[in-house]
Amino acid sequence: MKKQKGPVISNIDLHLEDFSTKKGNSVLPKPYGEALYAEAKKSKNISVLCADLTAATETDIVRDYLPDQFIMCGIAEANMIGVAAGLARSGLIPFVHSFSVFLTRRCFDQIAMQIAYPNLNVKLIGFMPGIDSLLGVSHQATDDVALMRALPNMTIIEPCDPTEYSSAVTLALNCDGPVYLRLNKNCPSVPTKYALSTVERGKFGLIKSGTDAAIFASGLCVQEAIEAAENLEHDGLSVAVVNASSIKPLDIQMIKEMAARTHCIITAENHSIIGGLGSAISEVLAETGLHVKFKRIGLNDCFAEGGSRDYLFDKYGLGARHIMQAVHALKREHNG
Amino acid sequence: MTTRKRNMPNFDHLTDKARIIRKHVIQMVSRHGQGYIQQGLGAADLFTYLYFYELNLSPQQVGNPQRDRFILSTAHNTAVFYATLAESGFFETEKLQQYCMDESTLEINASERLNGLVECTCGSLGQGLSVACGLALGFKKANNSARIFVMLGDGELEEGQLWEAVLFAATHNLKNLIMLIDLNYMQVEGDVRSVTKIDPVDKKFEAFGWRTKTVDGHDFEQIFSAFSDLNNSADAPSAIIAHTIPGKGIDFLEGQKSHNMILPDEIAEKALQQLEIEQ
Repeated sequence: MKKQKGPVISNIDLHLEDFSTKKGNSVLPKPYGEALYAEAKKSKNISVLCADLTAATETDIVRDYLPDQFIMCGIAEANMIGVAAGLARSGLIPFVHSFSVFLTRRCFDQIAMQIAYPNLNVKLIGFMPGIDSLLGVSHQATDDVALMRALPNMTIIEPCDPTEYSSAVTLALNCDGPVYLRLNKNCPSVPTKYALSTVERGKFGLIKSGTDAAIFASGLCVQEAIEAAENLEHDGLSVAVVNASSIKPLDIQMIKEMAARTHCIITAENHSIIGGLGSAISEVLAETGLHVKFKRIGLNDCFAEGGSRDYLFDKYGLGARHIMQAVHALKREHNG
Repeated sequence: MTTRKRNMPNFDHLTDKARIIRKHVIQMVSRHGQGYIQQGLGAADLFTYLYFYELNLSPQQVGNPQRDRFILSTAHNTAVFYATLAESGFFETEKLQQYCMDESTLEINASERLNGLVECTCGSLGQGLSVACGLALGFKKANNSARIFVMLGDGELEEGQLWEAVLFAATHNLKNLIMLIDLNYMQVEGDVRSVTKIDPVDKKFEAFGWRTKTVDGHDFEQIFSAFSDLNNSADAPSAIIAHTIPGKGIDFLEGQKSHNMILPDEIAEKALQQLEIEQ
């Protein structure tokens, strides 16, 4: 072998996982991957599928430690959905992984026909939803909730904190049918002074109570909503924050209660304002005849671009300050 | 996959069954005056061979996890599929009169409303082979000896997902997967070759790591011989490429490439007479 010249770099890990990895912190926790591994170890029926994105979807743990339960499908998402359907029909419980955008937008027909229509026990796990990526518009799932919500039999869960990922996996397993989990790698934690409830199908979690307005937020926007609500306290407004982790089915009871109490509802989501959480809650409000002031925060019917999370949230109006502005505007309307 | 002991098929019996199935196809489609008649007549011999000889699948085995699975990826080719199921005893032949009627489970595109007899709902082309791959891999892991048969049309080879599945099947050595391509060179627009350069089909699959056999899809001896060879095959998925003629069995329909054809009563009557005479 030819003698190497220059410095030896083989001991340095230069592996970058998905462009959300922060500089100088190459080893990120894998709350989802650990939770999946724990369940897969208990149940040999769990089958883990991935389309060339094991590290980014935290499935490298199962790949390395439970190889018999791991199936690499290559960069072929449409086929992966069909394979998952076949595996489910053979009695296994497939957990299917990719970036949210490829899993849902690229495979919509396959999911509709092979998973949702036959109501198969397949779990779809999408990472990096919304406008949370340097990778740009091709990698940004801004319509995934709209797509999955339109499918009969589908459950949609979006946890807001790494500690919820374990209960999200348990929920998916306990639900006998298709589930779409919308997950973030490198998800920040909700401040510890707020208690999180276990993620449940059809249940939201009340993170902070309030009487003047209620923010129903999902995923990364929960953090923004908390920050907004805390700042609004200084302005003399008592604002509730609801963790709307069960996007389908919704927690109708909680929506009604908050509407009746505050008459002022804001939704905040890392997704288009069309077809997502905001749309879903507005449908409930309209059909129940509850008269409230209402505003959706989200991507305002446009495509975004590659950029850092903070930059994109600020530019596209998903940040805490935008939520605060929305609350103030609604209160002015309500009082005026 | 266990090698089953194979008795010779009764070729005369198969020929007669295929004739009866073709009669059903004419009658089912003529009730509506139009439908997938050419495909049904063209694939009648393949369906007959599968259900009356090859498949380890009978009405008593519905629900048995060890049964062979048949997936009709070209889910619109139902007149011949339902006629074959009825003749195989999966339901009464009288039920064929409900074909495409409101409320009927015999829909023009086969769906899982036909409980237990449709393994997955296709119709959106290119999806059947992927599901077949999942079943084949799941059975392989569970040491289930059931074989997965999937029937595709040649027009379906234009779908990108199909080739994803072809790669996957070879990668995972799915030798319990047997694909049957109904190569009639017909799609909605006419001759497949006028739309896409699909030939040579066999070379494509061989290059992807599949074992292939090319047969005359109306010659039971050739079909039997091809399946027999593949049953003893190595660690690879198999493709049987069956050349079929749209409208086969009715001389004035043979070779007419018409995806959805009008079938007026007088034409249907003439066709039925021809099938009677052959008896």
